[in-house]
Amino acid sequence: MKAPFSPYLLGIKDGLKTLIAALERDYDYVSALATDSKGLAVQISQHAKAVRNETMTTERGICLRVWKDGLYSEYALNSFDPAAPERTYEAVKAALDAQLCVLRAAGAQVYDTPVLADEPLTCFVEKETEQLPETTDVRALVEKLTALSDRAMTLDKRMIEALASAQSTHICKMFLTKNRDLCQSYVYSEGNVAAVVMEDGRNQLDYAGVSGLCGPELFDQLADKVEAVVANAVELLSAGHIEPGEYEIITSPEVTGLIAHEAFGHGVEMDMFVKNRALGKEYIGKRVGSDICTMHEGALCAEDVTSYAFDDEGTLAGDVTEIDHGILRAGICDALSALRLGTQPTGNGKRENFEHKVYTRMTNTVFDSGESTLEEMIASVRHGYLLENMESGMEDPKHWGIQCIIKRGREIRDGKLTGAVVAPIIMTGYVPDLLGSISMCSRDRAVFGNGGCGKGYKEWVKVADGGPYLKTKARLG
Amino acid sequence: MLEQLFKILKAAGVFAWEVEDEKTEGWEFYFIRHALDQNRAKRVEHITVKVYQRIGEDSIGSAAAELPPTATAEEARKLVASLAYQATLAPNRAYTLNQPGPAHTAPRPAAPVDVPANARDYLAAMASVPETAGEDLNSYEIFTAAVTRRFVTSEGIDITETYPSSMLEAVVNARSGGHEIELYRMYKSGSCDAEGLRRDLARTMAYGRDRLHTVPTPPLGTADVIFSTDDAKEIYRYFIAHLDPSMVLRSMSDWKLGTPIEPDAHGDRVTLEALRTLPNSSRNRAFDAEGAPIRDVVMLRAGVPEHYLGGRMFSCYMGLTDSFIPGNFAVSGGTKSEAALRQGRYLEVVEFSDFQVDTMTGDIFGEIRLGYWHDGAAVTPVSGGSISGNMHDFLKEMYLSAEQVQFDNFRLPAVTKLCGVTVTGIETA
Repeated sequence: MKAPFSPYLLGIKDGLKTLIAALERDYDYVSALATDSKGLAVQISQHAKAVRNETMTTERGICLRVWKDGLYSEYALNSFDPAAPERTYEAVKAALDAQLCVLRAAGAQVYDTPVLADEPLTCFVEKETEQLPETTDVRALVEKLTALSDRAMTLDKRMIEALASAQSTHICKMFLTKNRDLCQSYVYSEGNVAAVVMEDGRNQLDYAGVSGLCGPELFDQLADKVEAVVANAVELLSAGHIEPGEYEIITSPEVTGLIAHEAFGHGVEMDMFVKNRALGKEYIGKRVGSDICTMHEGALCAEDVTSYAFDDEGTLAGDVTEIDHGILRAGICDALSALRLGTQPTGNGKRENFEHKVYTRMTNTVFDSGESTLEEMIASVRHGYLLENMESGMEDPKHWGIQCIIKRGREIRDGKLTGAVVAPIIMTGYVPDLLGSISMCSRDRAVFGNGGCGKGYKEWVKVADGGPYLKTKARLG
Repeated sequence: MLEQLFKILKAAGVFAWEVEDEKTEGWEFYFIRHALDQNRAKRVEHITVKVYQRIGEDSIGSAAAELPPTATAEEARKLVASLAYQATLAPNRAYTLNQPGPAHTAPRPAAPVDVPANARDYLAAMASVPETAGEDLNSYEIFTAAVTRRFVTSEGIDITETYPSSMLEAVVNARSGGHEIELYRMYKSGSCDAEGLRRDLARTMAYGRDRLHTVPTPPLGTADVIFSTDDAKEIYRYFIAHLDPSMVLRSMSDWKLGTPIEPDAHGDRVTLEALRTLPNSSRNRAFDAEGAPIRDVVMLRAGVPEHYLGGRMFSCYMGLTDSFIPGNFAVSGGTKSEAALRQGRYLEVVEFSDFQVDTMTGDIFGEIRLGYWHDGAAVTPVSGGSISGNMHDFLKEMYLSAEQVQFDNFRLPAVTKLCGVTVTGIETA
């Protein structure tokens, strides 16, 4: 079935168009992003169960953007009355004028930015899904997750908690200007199972997730994850500590995705170019990785949690080849940064929700596959680690430093897994060294959309990332 | 809409309900260098409804959703009916909601929040940051808001609080020749603390100067590590989590009231207190998110747990009738001065990529962007490599300075020293 577009948004469209026309009396550019995204989240553990009709991306509201005399201003609200758009017009004018008074009194200079083009464009997209979060069988979902949690508890006597969670969101967004009328509706879902074990007063946790551009039907896939998650958590109880140093490593697709995200995801967000906060600006056309290193970014380059038709500024989704055989080709860009840099937007202007500002943000960030098998890659390692599952990462686009927290490493000696496991691991290094050392890529690849991404320590959005197994070198501690 | 919603909930025949109505009026200014990139205003209202249902004799379930402020009565009725059904699907062991008491009816003088005035203070503060040719502000973002939160329950609680909420994000550059580095800062508070901002940003610029002249962190093996910035908050979140009933009841924390958390500790023993208020904290509230009154409580005294504090459900399960979700914290227990703790060999890390303490496993991590290696004689700025270890081990020997500093909702020792931290340095040829 097609995910139906929001009747609420259709109902306010005419009122919003009237509001846009009213604001155009005072401003030279006006756009409205209106959202109505519904969701369902169910969390089950042995000690607590909860049903919520909210997820990270559920929202209903409007963000108005206006331009005058080189300055972009925005107003966010969620109490729009389509029958009385003049009332909202007055509120917007009063609030923004009051701000300008304060800013002028403070002597603030404007970062002069050209006006956005408003070329005519219409689109109405309803993507396919089997189920909707609004109408899915919640009882069956609760029972399914409860069974997973209960089964996990039976698998090892050291289990102290088993969590199973599922959330699904039906995104509906409408972007309007004088000449643009864009509507999209799609459903994405994500689920997790996690096992917590304890021995001698020490806890360990492992988890696995599923995600996709689909409805709650996705959650059937969680059943396949339970045994491995419990086994991995138990294994962490007896994991050793790694001897700090530089090693040959093979990254699992989750860890590959983390590297993609931190290395040349954040590193080529071009709003950072505007502020001279990213070294990538000086490396376009230059080598940043080995010959077999190719990376894509864009809502169109994978089907996962952030595969939209247009971004939050009304730019159609794209697929950018960021690194092509080791050469940095392009970054990703929101519309205002593109104006400032004299380039084209790539469909990467995203807001946390209607209340937040647009920044250049990632969508799907993915390394291309290669020619090797995992077995060949392991066989090629003299002494190193197969790194599995990720905790978190942090970038440093200004200096290309990278920090990745990784769940565990499986020791490889003389081309074979020894069975020894070390955990946890902090991988640090210099991005061009890390990518420049990539010597093998596996044929398969996977994309993961269970995480969120912040800009600094705020502005959380959904992203997906992944790739194949990679063989490279890194400093581990 | 709210009054209609209350009527609908009362008529719905549900076991219990809670409604939160949060109204925010916010101003935001974004600057690149000192040029205005964008100004934003918002006026939003979020109404969250949570419905509880009895399931048999011994269980209770809940379901929650946000009701748009523009919703019609019919939409509200439909939502409540849906929640009433969903709440029967997810049974938890029975517990009771917070009940109204004297604290809920006591008069609370509410000072009006002047958003434009607060915004003006931020603009003036940022214009007066002492920049030089070598160190300046790359960009900054000012967020200031007035928030009014009303919380109403079927049990008779009806409280309203209005408070200021502010945040400043700043990126500082330092340069020498063709080399430029950046440092990131995020400050949360009630309203603008202009003097505090100027002081901390000046210190950040000094760190920036030092970072331009670092050498690779030596592979130290293990070392004592000093924390003197707000990264120390992460260390103490481990203690807070281990005193949360949800961690204790699920056996994720084995900290027992009256029993030392580390019997063999031979360093300082931590005292941790939940506080109702701290000066200009962003978390100063009279009530927690579930309507429980917040008060000053010692959670951990000299390394011995005294009170678990946390959310209503797990608190009830543990028989804690006066628990709440704390927002402000004070940590003490240091027996030595900062100067005494700064004797001998130690690594002080003032900039991490992202310092993390896993509150469940106790693992700590952080890539070093700027540290100072004190070898007993000389002090060398270092960068690169990382620190790691586990809080379980550090409880045996950690030290806190007697002097204190405040980072938003935490009042902490000016210096925290963890002993025997693994330092992965960088081998140089």
